[in-house]
Amino acid sequence: MPVTYAESAPRRRSKSIPVWDAFVRLFHWSLVLSTGAALLTGLWLGASWFTLHLIGGTLAVALVTSRIFWGFWGSSFARFAAFVVGPRRLAEHLCELAEGRAGRHIGHNPPGGWMILALLGTILVIGLSGVVALGGTLKTGPLAVAVDYATGALAQDLHGALAWALTGLIVLHVAGAVFESLRTGENLPRAMITGTKELRDEAAELPPRPARTRPALVAGLTAGAVVLGAASTLAVRQFPVPGAPIPPARFDRLYADECSACHIAYHPSLLPPESWGRLMATLGDHFGEDASLDPASTRAIAEWLTVAAARPTDTKPAREFARVDPAAPFTITKTPFWQETHAAISEATFSRKPIYGKFNCGACHQDAESGWFYPGNIDIPDTPKENSR
Amino acid sequence: MKIPSKPTILALAIILATPLAANPARDAIINALKQQAGVSSFSAEEGKALFLATHSGGKPETPSCTTCHGTNLKAGGKTRAGKPIEPMAVSVNPQRYTDPAKVEKWFRRNCNSVLGRECTPLEKGNILAYLSSL
Ligand code: HEC
Ligand code: HEC
Ligand code: HEC
Repeated sequence: MPVTYAESAPRRRSKSIPVWDAFVRLFHWSLVLSTGAALLTGLWLGASWFTLHLIGGTLAVALVTSRIFWGFWGSSFARFAAFVVGPRRLAEHLCELAEGRAGRHIGHNPPGGWMILALLGTILVIGLSGVVALGGTLKTGPLAVAVDYATGALAQDLHGALAWALTGLIVLHVAGAVFESLRTGENLPRAMITGTKELRDEAAELPPRPARTRPALVAGLTAGAVVLGAASTLAVRQFPVPGAPIPPARFDRLYADECSACHIAYHPSLLPPESWGRLMATLGDHFGEDASLDPASTRAIAEWLTVAAARPTDTKPAREFARVDPAAPFTITKTPFWQETHAAISEATFSRKPIYGKFNCGACHQDAESGWFYPGNIDIPDTPKENSR
Repeated sequence: MKIPSKPTILALAIILATPLAANPARDAIINALKQQAGVSSFSAEEGKALFLATHSGGKPETPSCTTCHGTNLKAGGKTRAGKPIEPMAVSVNPQRYTDPAKVEKWFRRNCNSVLGRECTPLEKGNILAYLSSL
């Protein structure tokens, strides 16, 4: 309920009053940085920024969690009760705005308050869908052993769609702050730095009744949530990941020796069993080279590869490369997924030293031999300067 | 440290003094090729010409043996994926051409890729003579 500010005698000179406490300000600008980093790396920069993306996203969720606790036990203006109004009050405010007779608010105005809820909620859901996607598609994080690839891929779609929605909300939030600053003649972004706003004589809201803040409780709850997240992430590492690719140390010796002579021994999970069968039947003309072997070795390797490839490996490459190009049934680099993920890399990059070709996965993926292809392990090498023979 | 006995020193001296091709396994490979080719000796000169030449009968990606093995055979080469290949010259890589199955496998593959056909026993022998003489 807005209450007219009819204190003592009217004063001309404006006085400032503390509105945004130190927690809220620190939270706000840290959230700008962490969410900005997560959005930038996730939506615009490629997978090679993945580690920064995880850091930004995790930080944003931790900040939002603490902000939610502060919304119950923080200082007066920070509490949800102080800025979340009912739908009727929201509609009223919008009507007043349209008619040009809306008042000024010391804390968040009604649409501003709802925006805060929308931002916090969206970031939280993006974070949760990110953890599901991480567990399912990359087998890392607290849900590494609990989510399969298909579910993780769905969560990743939601994660991406909500990231765009959040970008839209942020644009609206900034536009609202600029609009309200112009309308009321008070620099709102500055207030989020100094923490104070003008206490004017005209009609204004009384600050809410000072509430007892409980910083220790909020800090404790936040720390608890962070420890819970970290501990579950670490604890899950003790369990075997279902559908993990077999480690290269367990490759068949003959396969590991013969098929690593010219390139890395590709992980068997990278192609479906039929593809390996067809590749092994055409070694005499193998991608423009003769890679033929004696019949006994050929048979033994073909058998091992088809059995190893039939294991239900639940990694992103195994699931995605299973969809091969019918015209090139055993070429990983011709699969639709490979083409999509590498579309931004130029032909010149692939052919230069020390990469030499698309099929040389290990040049850019440090974990290529393991079959994981984790995005944090990507690094496109520079051309070496010395010994240009 | 114990001073090596006379016979050991003698044996070492013989090993160091003998021509590099004198490794029993490699000799056996070369002798078998001589029989197949029906010749009593191979020409390192012709082997060199074949090895360094640019050919057009094979796969376009591999016009020459030097595509992968490089032109300095005492240094290593690399495959099309940039995987290092050990030097081919016997003088720096004495393990070379001592496993008949390996030699056969790679002659078959590499001659097919570069020349578009298998190499004859004469060609193989000439090449091994060249690579052993380096
Ligand atoms: C020139 C360097 C380079 C080479 C060579 C290369 N990749 Fe990649 N790969 C990348 C980059 C960069 C990305 C990230 C693309 C992006 O930003 O989304 C990537 C992404 C991927 C991904 C998706 C990772 C994820 O979780 O999103 C897979 C799987 C993959 N590569 C597999 C392969 C395989 C298999 C090969 C070899 C046949 C290969 N790559 C060769 C650079 C390379
Ligand atoms: C004599 C050298 C040689 C040997 C031996 C060899 N490969 Fe290859 N392989 C190549 C080359 C060269 C390419 C890629 C050519 C290109 O894409 O330009 C290739 C490509 C591949 C690819 C496709 C990679 C892509 O581009 O998607 C697969 C899969 C593969 N090899 C599997 C095998 C297996 C299995 C064996 C063992 C039986 C084997 N290779 C042995 C030379 C070899
Ligand atoms: C496409 C790359 C490539 C080309 C072209 C190539 N080689 Fe090779 N060659 C290899 C690889 C890889 C090996 C096996 C790796 C090793 O032995 O260090 C090899 C091994 C050999 C071996 C067996 C060595 C041993 O220790 O037993 C011989 C002999 C040989 N090559 C001869 C040739 C000849 C002759 C040509 C030209 C007709 C040729 N190579 C062209 C890649 C190539």
